[in-house]
Amino acid sequence: MSIGAPLRNVVILGGGTAGWMLAAALSKVFNAKGAVNVTLVESEEIGRVGVGEATIPPITAFNALLGIDEDEFLRETRGSIKLAIEFVDWTRLGHTYFHPFGQFGFDIEAIKFHQFWRKLDLMGRTPGIEAYCLAAVASQLGRFERPPPDPRSPLSALKYAFHFDAALYARYLRRFAEKRGVRRIEGKVADAVQRSDGFIEALVLEDGRRVEGEFFVDCSGFRGLLIEQKLKVGFVDWSHWLPCDRAVATQCESAGASITPFTRATARKAGWQWRIPLQHRIGTGHVFSSAHMSDDEAAATLLANLDGPALVDPWILRFKAGRRKKFWDKNVVALGLAGGFLEPLESTSIHLIQAGITRLLALFPDTAFNPVEAEEYNRLMTSQYERIRDFLILHYYATERNDTEFWNQCRTMSIPDTLRAKIDLFRARGRLFRYEDELFADANWIAVLIGQNFVPEGYDPLVDAVDINAVAQKFERIRDVFERTAAGMPTHRMFLNRAAASGGRP
Amino acid sequence: MTDDNRLRHLIIVGGGTAGWMTAAALARFLVDGFTKITVVESDAIGTVGVGESTIPQMRIFNRMLALDEDEFVRRTQATFKLAIEFVNWRKLGDVYYHPFGPYGIDFEGVSFHAYWLRLSAMGQAAHLDEYSLQALASRQSKFMRPINAGNSPLSTISYAFHFDAYLYARFLRDFAEKRGVQRKEGKIVDVGLRGEDGFIESVVLESGERLEADFFIDCSGFRGLLIEQTLKTGFEDWSNWLLNDRAVTVPCADGGARNAVTRATARPAGWQWRIPLQHRIGNGYVYSSAHISDDEAASTLIASLDGEPLADPWMLKFKAGRRRKTWHKNCCAIGLSAGFMEPLESQSIHLIQVGISRLMTLFPDRRHAQSEVDRYNRVMQYEYERIRDFLVLHYNTTERSDTSYWDYCRTMRVPDELADKIAIFKSHGRVFRENEELFNDTSWFAVMIGQGLWPDAYDPMATVMDPQDLRTRLDSIRATIANSVARMSTHHDFIRQNCAADPVKFRRKAGAH
Repeated sequence: MSIGAPLRNVVILGGGTAGWMLAAALSKVFNAKGAVNVTLVESEEIGRVGVGEATIPPITAFNALLGIDEDEFLRETRGSIKLAIEFVDWTRLGHTYFHPFGQFGFDIEAIKFHQFWRKLDLMGRTPGIEAYCLAAVASQLGRFERPPPDPRSPLSALKYAFHFDAALYARYLRRFAEKRGVRRIEGKVADAVQRSDGFIEALVLEDGRRVEGEFFVDCSGFRGLLIEQKLKVGFVDWSHWLPCDRAVATQCESAGASITPFTRATARKAGWQWRIPLQHRIGTGHVFSSAHMSDDEAAATLLANLDGPALVDPWILRFKAGRRKKFWDKNVVALGLAGGFLEPLESTSIHLIQAGITRLLALFPDTAFNPVEAEEYNRLMTSQYERIRDFLILHYYATERNDTEFWNQCRTMSIPDTLRAKIDLFRARGRLFRYEDELFADANWIAVLIGQNFVPEGYDPLVDAVDINAVAQKFERIRDVFERTAAGMPTHRMFLNRAAASGGRP
Repeated sequence: MTDDNRLRHLIIVGGGTAGWMTAAALARFLVDGFTKITVVESDAIGTVGVGESTIPQMRIFNRMLALDEDEFVRRTQATFKLAIEFVNWRKLGDVYYHPFGPYGIDFEGVSFHAYWLRLSAMGQAAHLDEYSLQALASRQSKFMRPINAGNSPLSTISYAFHFDAYLYARFLRDFAEKRGVQRKEGKIVDVGLRGEDGFIESVVLESGERLEADFFIDCSGFRGLLIEQTLKTGFEDWSNWLLNDRAVTVPCADGGARNAVTRATARPAGWQWRIPLQHRIGNGYVYSSAHISDDEAASTLIASLDGEPLADPWMLKFKAGRRRKTWHKNCCAIGLSAGFMEPLESQSIHLIQVGISRLMTLFPDRRHAQSEVDRYNRVMQYEYERIRDFLVLHYNTTERSDTSYWDYCRTMRVPDELADKIAIFKSHGRVFRENEELFNDTSWFAVMIGQGLWPDAYDPMATVMDPQDLRTRLDSIRATIANSVARMSTHHDFIRQNCAADPVKFRRKAGAH
């Protein structure tokens, strides 16, 4: 059998968010002995994708793994807090809903909260389900407070993530990683040398230098310099489900002093526009389908919908929804955009990097590169991508819009079987199931399904065994507690000022 | 609006362990009296199951019913269980434990398993059992329920039960009848189907009485009176992987020390269980009729009892596999009617429990949504298949070559999912728990290591720690566990002080209970 020696040299190709997140994680994990040399090759000349970046709550686990102080992180990345995504014009023009982080209410008698909500809703005895999620209530008020560890406090249920400047984040992680021994090489990669069995042996830089290694992580972005251009693993195209293939992005000034603690996603005629508030500005971009709209029209739509004056000229990004057929092949793992692309509608880009890193650490190879481990990694990552894909498709499919050809196509398209099964179960009686390892939990699906008016026809029959008047009283108490709790929080701006003023390194 | 569609009447066919567990659970939740529940059973039909061994999930079921645990133990002559002791599986003379609860503790983001493998490779690790509270306590015949002791392993002792399945069904019958479940004595002689769609409409008893209902739960055992004999859903045969097709069982008098473990001893053509109860020991030899005769199996069993037999040996026939659909139209099969796997990992009661809890989360109304039925069948299939893989592991990883039976097991082609799991483990000792798979990484690790399946290398992440530090940390885990076990009472004393059952007078008689 193949017994390998421990890896000594890991080479990361590309220094964007993916590259530096991995470098930071490896430097932290292997810091103790310097057992593994980590080298990162990047070029200042190559631009990075990602301006204002929005994240989801698992990012706090990544920060904790690195041991990062959250206030410092917010200061360094000019970051802000995110409690929800506000979806505007998705269900129909003029309609708005929140997809908040965290749970809706509490289960009663082992029956899901939303089942009771639906019964009361049918009886006309309850407001919308958002009133029962603290993150949604606080979003509406523009307030935030860090949840205390005490589980008895209603505030402890609050889940949050961040908006931050991705370039500043990469720089921050770079300092972190370099301090722990990661070597950075400035240079553009011109080619890679392969052994006879196809394994990568070294990178060749434009100036002729060679960077040798035993294991290579391809963080080179869309083009996939190693995983695709060298190893030619192939691409699974999902553009028939997710037709948007371009984005035009810019930054603008904020209109006032207040900062919304949520990302906004506004549906447009042939796509949607993101709005990500940072401390010092707003990042915004228009994702669209080039088959349905010209670049000029897309840019004009974006510029007509800014909070304040633009700070830079808009620039265009091109992409295609899908994933590599293999994320790990031979001695190369593709991370971030090199592994696959899904539009940032649910802020999953950073998370997919993080998911790749944690699974890579769990299956960290040695020099034998046993193929069963690569296969397991591919299996796990494929399911991550596919389940997120389904969740994104839901946003387009569950619409009533018929004002453009783009929306007609989305509303009537045939969807993956895995998504079909979820929707059918939910629409019958509000039942939901989580697939293996699936990122988005029941509460996320409930928020979007109900938000986009895919409301269940009925509810779980077990609900009828519980006294509905007692439930209605519980519901009222939950609303009341959440309203009072949210009203007692500082405004988001005040919270950020406090974080900025708290001690720590400059 | 939706009220109109609620089930008006639900019939459970068969009153064994599966039937009464289902009746009790439904009675606990359908409390508004709208849905009538009837159990049809016949005293003339015997129930399978003598001494029954369980896994810790059983306690969730008991808690759901809000049962008093001491009362449950007393009324079912139960004892506690911390592990399964596997004898002669890897090779003759070999013993290992599959304990409930983890080995050691993970630290620095790396699993304990990886550290232990590394220390073993350095020749400096103690036996795996010494890092498991349950395994060490099993060796020393100790037991105690968890106590509030901060982060001591004594706070998280995970355990299950051995009990008399017949008494358990009686106990649950009391529970269910008190909550309005009707019991109907009688044998079913006919089943009425609805003409337009083949849904079950009624069952007809020997007396001629016809009982109508909206939904039927088939707990009729192996034969599957509704799910197979009526609805003909088909059977997926797994006997190429799990050869055993018969069991001969007999209770015997208590032969002495009562460990809080089930023992599974590999025999020339199968294996033998030993399940200690308060009033006796349940024994059974599960075997392959292609490799050994019934008489030979019975005499092997009788020759290896701890005490005097309390009944004549009693024979069961079965086939490993599962129904192709466990829920079809308005009929759901729970228990042996849904599938059969030998009780090597004490999963039988658990599969009933899973069937019930999944049925509750997908509880139907009279519209019988197909999407919900499909979902149920998919998750139950997954549950059965992963347990099947875990059982096949025990046979395939043996080193035994003393009989043609073991030669077959050792060299058979295993299911692909299992082959993958073994390959990943062989490479770096890693185990990944898939989906809601019942047996977790500790269970897989216990059996893989116990059966002598050593990985070629350990996880490279475990190399980061300094060897001296690693030794110190594992030594301190071992010391903590030894100290904790020293504080536990013996299993015997624990039962005597907390939940001793009334003594039973035995009359020797033929057949079941």
